[in-house]
This record gives sequence, C-alpha cells and structure tokens, in this order.
Amino acid sequence: MNKITVTFIINGKEVTLKVGPKERLLDTLREQLKLTGTKEGCSVGECGACTVILDGKAVSSCLILTGQIGGSEVLTVEGLEVDGNLDSLQKAFIDCHAIQCGFCTPGMLISAKALLIHNPHPSREEIKTALEGNLCRCTGYEQIIEAIESAANK
Amino acid sequence: MISYEFLTTQKIEEALNYLDKFSKVHILAGGTDLLVNLYKESPRLPHFDYLLDISSIPELKVINSINNFIEIGPLVTHFRLINEPLIKNNFPVLMEAAYTIGSTQIRNRGTIGGNIVNASPAADLLPPLITLRAEVELTSRQGKRVLALEEFLAGPYKTKLQANELLTKIKIPLLGDNYYTDFQKIGRRKALSIARLSLALVTKIDEEGIFQDTRVAPGSATPYPQSLPLTEEAINGISIFQINLEEIGNIISKEMVSITGERWSTPYKKPTIAVLIKRALEKIIKEAKNNE
Repeated sequence: MNKITVTFIINGKEVTLKVGPKERLLDTLREQLKLTGTKEGCSVGECGACTVILDGKAVSSCLILTGQIGGSEVLTVEGLEVDGNLDSLQKAFIDCHAIQCGFCTPGMLISAKALLIHNPHPSREEIKTALEGNLCRCTGYEQIIEAIESAANK
Repeated sequence: MISYEFLTTQKIEEALNYLDKFSKVHILAGGTDLLVNLYKESPRLPHFDYLLDISSIPELKVINSINNFIEIGPLVTHFRLINEPLIKNNFPVLMEAAYTIGSTQIRNRGTIGGNIVNASPAADLLPPLITLRAEVELTSRQGKRVLALEEFLAGPYKTKLQANELLTKIKIPLLGDNYYTDFQKIGRRKALSIARLSLALVTKIDEEGIFQDTRVAPGSATPYPQSLPLTEEAINGISIFQINLEEIGNIISKEMVSITGERWSTPYKKPTIAVLIKRALEKIIKEAKNNE
C-alpha cells in the first residue's frame, strides 16, 4: 500500500506527514501528532467524540482519510488554549460543571466552537442543533447548553 | 482485510483518466458512508484496488442557475443545500430533506452526489430529487450523457454509473408558478436517524384549486426510491376543497404493498405511509388556501 505525503495546518502550525491510505484523520491526530484530546468513540460518525474543526466546520475525524485533507486547516481541542489562556468556552464548561467523565468534552467544546465562529450569539435551539451529533451519557446536556450560552453572552 | 492504493486529484480530467486507466476504482467524496463501510468491512462494499478521492475538485462544488435549471455540483454538501438561497428559494423540499440528514458533522461533510450514487433505499435526498425530476450528468473520457435520476437508479445500492464514469452534475428544472412541495420523515429520533419512512410531494394547484402534475416519492418504502404513479394520478384533477385524504391514504398504501409485497414491516408501514401523504397534502392545501 502506498504512503501519501500530506501537508496541512494543525492548530496554526503547518505539518507535512506521510500517511497510509487507510489512515483516518483521527488516527493521524492521536497516533502521529499525539493530540489525544480528540477521542475515538463509535468510529462511525454517530457519537461526536472525535469532532474537529476542518476549514471552519465541525466534522467527524473518524470519517475523513488524512490523504483527503491536503492544504486544509484543522483545529482540535488542544488548539483552543492560546498562550496558556483557556478559551472562554473551556472556562464556561468548568464554571457550569458541564463535565462529568470528560470523554465527550473535547467533541462538545469543538462543536460549540464551530458554532460560535459562525454565530457568536446562538439561540438555545441553534446550540442544540450544533450539538445533535455529540452524545453525552453523564451530564444530561443541560449544563453543556448553559455553558455555551454563558460563553456566548460574554 | 481491505487493501487499496489511494489516488487524489483536483481536476475532473485527471479523475477521468484514472477511471479509464485503472480498473476496480472506488470513488470517495464526503466519506460519511464509505468510511463507515470501510471501518466495518461491510459486505456491501464492492472489492476495489484503488480509492479515488475527488473531494477537492473545485469544479464539482458549484451551484449555478442556467436557463431553466439549477445545476448542482455533486460535491455540494448537505450543509450548503440548506443554506444556499438558490436551493432554499426554488426547492424547499430538497432543503428540508437535507436538514433531516445525520448531524451537523455529517451535513458538513456528506454530499448530494454521494447520497445519489450510494443509492440507499433510505437515502434522504432521493425522494425529493425524484419528485423534482432531477437529471444526472455522467462524464467519462468518451463524453457526457444525461439520465433522469429515476432511470439512473437501478436497485437498492445500485445505479447505472459505468466504471469509467463520474457523476459531474445534478440538474433540476425550475418549478413554474403555483407549485407546492413538502417533505415528511419519520425516524427513531430526530438527529442521526435513518429514515424509517419518508415522503416527498411536489404538486401544482391551479387557479381553480385543482391538483395537477402531482409527483409522489417515498423513501424506505420500496426496495429503492421511486415515484408512485397510481397515487399521483389519484390526486391529479381533484379540487383541494373536495379531496378525500382517507381515500388517497388507502391508494398509496395499496400501491406501496403492490411493489414490496407483504413484508415484516408492512403492518407498520402501510398505515404510516397513509399518514405521511395526508400530512403532506394537508400542509400544502393549507398553504394554497392562504395564498388565495
């Protein structure tokens, strides 16, 4: 099987990597780049744990081959913090206790970030739509929605 | 173990050359179905030696209004179908169906071309595209051909796409004045659900309130999406003030069962499809009465 050379931007930095033909963006992030904040849940695009922002849009990194994303820009949960300062969403998740086991949290944060990039003041319905592809089995969603509302109001 | 060589290109011409030169090539666009099948090593996935990624061909991402058609590139995502004014204003039935697909993540990545070529019995965009009389443009190195979508679909997960062809355009004729459309879908839950049953309805209601040119196509009701001519004929020529919705419900149930035969799901689907056509007609009739 041939290796593919791909150049893309990850959390603001350009990287050039050799990837396998079956290597998913999720695999590249976790195994080559050691960015393990992005989680593998269902592997079939239903749970949202592996959500990253690709060229400004929330996508499931388990459903993308890294060979496909040459020239693109990827943001993962590790890229939310800037110069040691947490993103306002991260702070709001802490303040609102929007975390229990934490497995869904990176995906939730990224889906919320993608929403706020395009829509800084979303309605509650718009927040729910942005999160419809992210499953959480602990919190019951209420605190997560509150956290996003509070970050958006700042 | 699935094993293949990965090919990618940004040009239609090069993609066609690959399709011509190599055999057993599988095309990858948004990947929202293919990557699931790869991960599960699904038996539905045909054997292939090459995976051709077309997802970064810019020409296949364009939406244009040309003469009396809207032309949609096959790489247009569900997200764009929901947000493009040309689609929203002309084909709300397509927009509504796109909105029910998957989740935000899936809609940002999945494409109209993938939904068509994958040809799932539950494909959400096929019923609206059939009722809109969509056509598909297929291109190979030998030239182009255009087929009506309904003719292009050949069975569950089967189309008439040849091994050397690429779907390059979806062409939808504009609806004239006095047309109404609706899309209904039932899933187990709102997000991420495969349609248990869906229905697209496009119809004209003339100045006297008479239904004309009615088009009905259900999803997940027949082995693959197709229009239901008996139901369409039963609605045509009837006034919106006199239509018997119970009767139309019975006709569509019977027509569905005449195609599928009695199956384990029939006791559920038979009354449910009647409800969907009633809901769609009620909505359209209300809109038409408000427009009077």
